[in-house]
This record gives sequence, structure tokens and C-alpha cells, in this order.
Amino acid sequence: MNTTVTFDNVSRFYGEVLGVNRVTLSIPPGITSLVGPNGSGKTTLMNMMAGLVRPTRGEVRVLGISPNEPQRLCHMIGYATQFDSFPRGLTGQEFIYSFLRLFGYSHDRCVKQAETAIARVRMTGAAARKIAGYSKGMRQRIKLALAIAHDPRVLILDEPLNGLDPLVRNETIALFREMAHEGRHVIVSSHVLHEVDQISDQVILLSNGYVVAEGQIHDVRGEIKDHPMQVWIRCAQPSVLASKLFEMDHVVEARLAQDGAGVLVKTRDADRFYRTLNDLAVNGIELEGVTPLDDNVNSVYEYLIGGESR
Amino acid sequence: MMAQIASVMRLELKKTFFSRRGLWVYVLAFAPALIYLIHAVDVTRDHEHRQALAAAHPVATETLHSIKEGMTTDEVVAAAGEPYAVKTFPGGRRRAGGFRDLAIYQYTDGDSDFALVLVEGKVERINEQDRCNLKKDSAIFATVFQFFYLRLAVFFGCVGIFMNLFRGEMLDKSLHFYLLAPMRREVLLAGKYLAGLVAAATIFVTGTALQLAALSWHFEPGAVSEYLRGPGWGQIAAYLGVTVLACIGYGSIFLLAGLVFRNPIIPAAGVLLWESINLFLPASLKKISIIFYLQALCPVVASPDRGLSLLQRLLISSAEPPQAWVAMLGLMVVTLAVLVFAGRRARRLEINYGTE
Amino acid sequence: MAVYKRTYKAYAGAQTPRWSRFLVLPRSSYSRLMQSKFLVIYLMACFFFPLLCATFIYLSHNLSVLESLNIPVGRLFQIDNKFFEFFCGFQGAMACLLTAFIGPGLVSPDLSNGALPLYFYRPFSRTEYIGGKLTLLIYFLSLVTWFPGLIVFGIQAELAGWQWTRDNAWIAASIFVGLFIWDVFLALMALALSAWVKWRIAAGGLILGVLFAGAGFGAAVNAIVRTNYGSLLDLRQVIAVIWSQMFRNEQSTNVPVPQAWIALAIASAICLWLLTRRVKAFEVVK
Repeated sequence: MNTTVTFDNVSRFYGEVLGVNRVTLSIPPGITSLVGPNGSGKTTLMNMMAGLVRPTRGEVRVLGISPNEPQRLCHMIGYATQFDSFPRGLTGQEFIYSFLRLFGYSHDRCVKQAETAIARVRMTGAAARKIAGYSKGMRQRIKLALAIAHDPRVLILDEPLNGLDPLVRNETIALFREMAHEGRHVIVSSHVLHEVDQISDQVILLSNGYVVAEGQIHDVRGEIKDHPMQVWIRCAQPSVLASKLFEMDHVVEARLAQDGAGVLVKTRDADRFYRTLNDLAVNGIELEGVTPLDDNVNSVYEYLIGGESR
Repeated sequence: MMAQIASVMRLELKKTFFSRRGLWVYVLAFAPALIYLIHAVDVTRDHEHRQALAAAHPVATETLHSIKEGMTTDEVVAAAGEPYAVKTFPGGRRRAGGFRDLAIYQYTDGDSDFALVLVEGKVERINEQDRCNLKKDSAIFATVFQFFYLRLAVFFGCVGIFMNLFRGEMLDKSLHFYLLAPMRREVLLAGKYLAGLVAAATIFVTGTALQLAALSWHFEPGAVSEYLRGPGWGQIAAYLGVTVLACIGYGSIFLLAGLVFRNPIIPAAGVLLWESINLFLPASLKKISIIFYLQALCPVVASPDRGLSLLQRLLISSAEPPQAWVAMLGLMVVTLAVLVFAGRRARRLEINYGTE
Repeated sequence: MAVYKRTYKAYAGAQTPRWSRFLVLPRSSYSRLMQSKFLVIYLMACFFFPLLCATFIYLSHNLSVLESLNIPVGRLFQIDNKFFEFFCGFQGAMACLLTAFIGPGLVSPDLSNGALPLYFYRPFSRTEYIGGKLTLLIYFLSLVTWFPGLIVFGIQAELAGWQWTRDNAWIAASIFVGLFIWDVFLALMALALSAWVKWRIAAGGLILGVLFAGAGFGAAVNAIVRTNYGSLLDLRQVIAVIWSQMFRNEQSTNVPVPQAWIALAIASAICLWLLTRRVKAFEVVK
């Protein structure tokens, strides 16, 4: 059975405006974050996965199913869109229940699944209230509840953490992790890069409708050769360490901290650098701490997209 | 699939019946019934008043009918007795050679009112205001039903209800909830259409029934029973059926318009114009309209009334009516064709709220 | 408390004069409206009938052309007050549809997008806002009503000579006044209705509904209650009665002229009340 979400040379144009262009991707289970500036094509990719938008060219398959077969696809996916709008006059419980009925489930099953989904997003207390009276965070959570209510294998979430307070944010991230741990796809778009960094198994970076990078963050960072990786090392003898490091051809800069507490190193080959550092530690250089400064989504985003988005 | 259609209908029916923004549909549907009711109350009061007047000033109907133009005031009073009301207008009528005295003598036999217009003491004109009868009122109902209720009330009601099914959801940015349910788009379309149909038919059939009830309310039970024993039930069934068929036909067109056009008011105006100029279209084109079939199914042929505006008179179609089964079949074929096309459009439907 | 460097300076350049500030709105809306191909096509269609009238006037003054085409000259209409009243009726109907198309796009989007505060927290009053929107709508309506009407009258005047023009100058005044009153009413109604309906589409439907379903409802009232007062609900018939009086023609209905004026005044007052109620400042606690 196919377990990936695939885009095969997919392009989408809105009239003369480019949505996404020649996207070829294969998304495995786990948490995948779509990262990119506004208008980079994140929502278009998500809408195409859900069949809300069709590709102008190319083919999308979700676990082997074409979005042209909503009757099969929508059992597999749950999509919390960015649209902050709901059918009028419904309470949270009615909202989940009514749309679960569209799946053809019985009344009892819908009631039960709605309750479970609402409980998973900690909305049980507000389920009987009209959605029109919900706060932004509550509306986000009820959308998430609808997306997970039918127990989908692929969860697509467009900016799901927007408007959530820190506590709920952590709970929601834990929920994503739990679902990913169960072998589901959790595809998230977000602008909050440190959260992406925190939760993602892999990232897809988009810019101007093109995929500029994909994979695990460390691997992606390793591929960015024109920006040497920066590592902050705290140690008792920074000048000794700096002189040792300068002997290595992949180290392009070693700068001593003004307070003499450590050294900032820039290297073109992180893996070799860490191996060498290990050797130095074994040979008597006392290291207090090693912190990679730009081995994260934030830096990857800055290096790959930052210049373009400005 | 049936469960899914039922679920869509449940959601849509609640929205259509109880939404505040749809209240105007009820106004359109029930306003004519209210007018009939007001009229019925007025006629009943008027009749009671005439009965009282006739008791105080008794005069036989035959006597009143025997009064002819040219009779003098004395001759009138000798034949019919004193009138229940006299209005005099000295110098009130302009004639060659100056102004003449005008008087109006009013008599009633308890049912009809007779106003004798006397100029210079001679009867010049007799205005007889009959009491309403079911035959006359049925003809008026036929006119109002065809020229107002079907062409405007049901038409605009269907514009509101059926265009709202897809375009309204687009504007509310809530259509994606439906498109993310595991059902074929055609099933969604069927569910929405049926919900719109049930809502429109319920509202407008109730409206028609209330109009008929209000129309016959002020008549004596005997007259109503006689009418019902005759063509009554058949006509009532036909009017209710035509109302349902109007909802079926117009509903399909406006459902499609809501799917295809970003501003469905332009096609709605186009359809209104098309239905209005039906009278002037050649026979083959007449058949591509809803009103052509609906009029053919109406039990009473309505004729243009002088009181109707130019617009109403323009709306009247003089097409050779097809047979009832042909009309029904034709309407169903047009509806089915429109729905099949709508189904194809629904399949290609995309969410692009940004352009709304 | 920290004191930051004050770099803010208020705009000190030239300002649009207060009296003409309301024209800012029609200027920006005009260019947006004219981007619609449908509107341009419709405007062109609106000039078809005036063109036909102009051709007809030309031909009626050049009978030799008609005779050469074997057209029976005796059957032609006279170019008189009835002719121009009919012109007003036709162009007035075209103006109704134009109102339904462009009217709702002027206020509804501002309401649905919550844009009114953007206008009003600037030195821009509610009166100027309404005035600006009305100006644009009246401009477009004038373009298809009295403006071509006066051109057609001018053509007739040119061809018929000074004597005819002097005798019938009042017709020109009737064309202008009659159609301008209708334009102002339509514009007011469009703004009032679209101010109460957030959806542009629904507002368009409502305008059509008031004009057409209102006419039907009035006719239904007349038929059921055996009266003529139902005609007062048909605003197109109301203005037709007023035009009949202005063009000194016989009325086609039994609605008395003073009552038609009163009905139009009441309808305008209701529209104005609805409009001012909607755009005036208020607080909503939900």
C-alpha cells in the first residue's frame, strides 16, 4: 500500500499568477512542515492535496488516491484550512456532528466521534456554545477537531497554531506528535519558525511557487554550502582551541569571544568539524558546551528565502 | 449515498428555513395571502354593513335593476324608495353651456351596491358594485398567481434560495467543509438541490394554499362547497402542483447560475428578461423557458387586466399551450438538462474565496 | 518613562479643498468600475436606443430618403412630447438595470470589509462619503438618461428649426428634470439597500426585487383589493405618472399625480433614512 503523499511535476496557475510551479515531492509519514513567505504556495499545495484546487499540470496522489475521487480521498484526509469561517448558527458539537454525518456514519457513531474529537482539542466545555461566540483560539481548535474527527491518516493543517495561547499550543503540538507517532502524516504550514523547528520531522521550503529545499533540517542546512555553519564553543582555553581549529581546511573563521569565554567557529563541513572537535576533546581540550547557531529552520529560511522575501 | 444526501439536506434545510437573511422569502411568499386576508375582512365588513343598510332601506334587486338611465329623481324614489345615502354636488358636473348640479343616490339590496349618478335630476349613469363571487375571484386569483406569484414571487424566492446554496457558501467561505466530505460532488449537488426544493416548495406551496384559503374565507360555506364539488379541488391541486413545478424549474436554473457565475444577479436579470419576452419569442424558443410550461398547466387562463401595469401586460405570454403531460415532461427535461450540466460544473468546482 | 526621539511630523503639504473632497471617492471608484467589461458593454447597449431615436429623427426630417426606400411616411410617429416621454421610459428602464449592476458595489464592499472606519477616521465626513458615492452613481445614470436625451432633443431642434425649438423648449427641461429626479432616486435607493445588505450580489438582487417584484406586488394589490393605490408600490409606474404630467401627456393609469409625487417623496425619504442610519456612528455590543 502506498504510504506517501506525492506531487509529480505539479504546477498551478491562477490566471496569469503562479501558484506553484513544477513541484515534485514525496512526503512520508511524520510531521512535515511547509515553510515559506506569504504567497509562496503553501496553501495551494495543501488545497491540491485535499482536492479543493486542481493542478493545472501534473498529478497529486495522497496515499495513492487521486483528489478527483473525493469519496475515497476524504476518508483518508483531514484538513483544517486557514479560512476562519463556519456555517452559521451551529454550536461546536453540532458543527462536528453535522459534518461527520456527511461521511455516512450513523447518529450514534457521529455523536461518539464528535465527543472524542472535541475532547482531544480540550473543547468539551465550550462544545454546546455557538461557534459565532468562540475566540480565535477556540475556532482554531474546533477546526482541528473537525479535521481529526473521522480519524484520518493524513492530517493537513494550515497555520494551525495561529491564535492559540502557549498552553494550548503545547497541547496541540503534543497532539501532532502523538498522531505522527501513530504513523500518520501531519502536514503543517507555519510562519512560526522556532515551532516548526521544534515539531518537524522534515520541512519543505517554498518560495515564489517553487520548492527550494526539502528534507530533514540538518540535511538541508548541510547542503547550504555558501553559508558556513556557525558553532559556538564554550571552553576554558579558547585561544588554544582557535589555533587548533585554524589548522583545518574546512574552518573558515574562528573568532574569540570578547569576554574570553569561548570561540565562534564557521565551518564548511559540519560533520568533519564535529569529528575533529571530538578528537580535540579526547586529547585534552576542555569543552564546556557546543551550540550550533544556525542549524535550524530559522537560519535555513534566512539563507534560502530571506534574501528573496525582502 | 442516500444517508449523505439526507445529511446535506438536514444542514441546508436548517439554514434555509431559519436564517435571518432569508426572511424576505417568507415576505414574498405570504404577502399575497395577507392581501387576500385583508380583502376578505374588508368584504365581510362591507357585506354586514350593506345588510344593515338594506334592512333599514329595503329594496328588491329586481326594482333596482328596473331603474334605467334618463329616469327622473322622483321616478327613482317612487320605484325604489328613499336611498340610504345621498351626496349632492351643486354645479359639480361640467357640461356644454356651464356647470350642472350633480347628485349620487345610493341603494343596496344587501348584496350589491347601486350608485345612481343624477345630473340635473335625471339618471345619467348607474354604477353597480357586485358582491364578490367565487368565479370572479378565481379569475383574479389566476391573474395574480400567474403574473405576480409565479413570475415574480416564486422567481425571486428561488433566486434567493437556490443561488445561496453554492454562491452563498462561497461568499461565507464555508463551502470547503462540504467539499472535504467523502462524497461525490454530484451527491452534494443533489442534496443541496433537494434541500432547496423542499424549502422553496414548502414555503411557496404554503403561500399558495394560504392565498386560496384567504380567498374563499369570506364566501358562504355553501358557495365554497359548490366550488369544491365542481372544479375546486382540481384547480387547487393544479395551483399547488404548478407552484412545486415552478420551484423545480427555477430552482435548477438558479442553482446552476450560483455555480457558474461569480455575480449571479446578471444571469438572474437575464432569465427575468428572457421569461418576460417569452411572449415575443418564436414558438421554438418559447419552449426553452419555464413560464411557458407553467402557464400551460395553470387551470384558469388569465387575461391581462386593465389595472395591471405595462410591465405586467408585457409579461403575458400568448403561446399556444402544450398539453399538460407535454408541459410537465418538457419542464422535467429542461430541469434535468440543467442539473446534469450543473453536476459537471460541480465536479470541476474549486475553492477560490479570494476572488469572491 | 523613556523619551524617544520624536521623528513623527504631520503631513504639511497641500490638501484637497474641503468642498471638493467628496470627489475623491468617485474618482477612485470610477476607474475600478470601468475595468468591468460587462459594464462597458452595457453602457454601449444603453446608447443603442438613443442612436435609434436620432436616426429616426433624421429620417423623419428627410422624407425623400424614406420615399426612395418605399417606406410609408404617413405611419411615422410624430417627434413630440409623447416621443420624448417614451424615450424617458425606455432609458429609465435601462437605468434601473444599470443601478442594480453598479449600485451594490459602492457601499456593500465597504461594509462587508469593515472599511467605513478607514474613511471616517480621516478628515472625511459621512455626508461627504454619501455625497461621493451618490455622485458617481448619478454620473453613470445621467450618462444613459438625460444626457443622451438632451442630445436627441438637440438633433431634433437642429433639424426642426428655431420656431419648433422655442415652442418646445419645455420638453428639454422635462427631459432633464424628469430623468434627473429618477436618477437621484435610483442612486439613493441603490445606496440605501446596499448599505443594509452586506453581500454585493444580494444587494443587486434586492434592488431588482424592489423594482420588479414591487411592481408585481402593486399590481396584485390592485387586482385583489380593486383599487389603484397598489400602483404606488410600483416605483416605475410612479415615475411614469410624474413624467406624464411633466410631458403634458395623458396618463396611462388612474394614479393621481399628487399622490405619485408624495409616493416618490416618501420612498426617497425612507431611502435617505435607511442610508443615514446605516453610516452614522454607532457602537455594537455583541
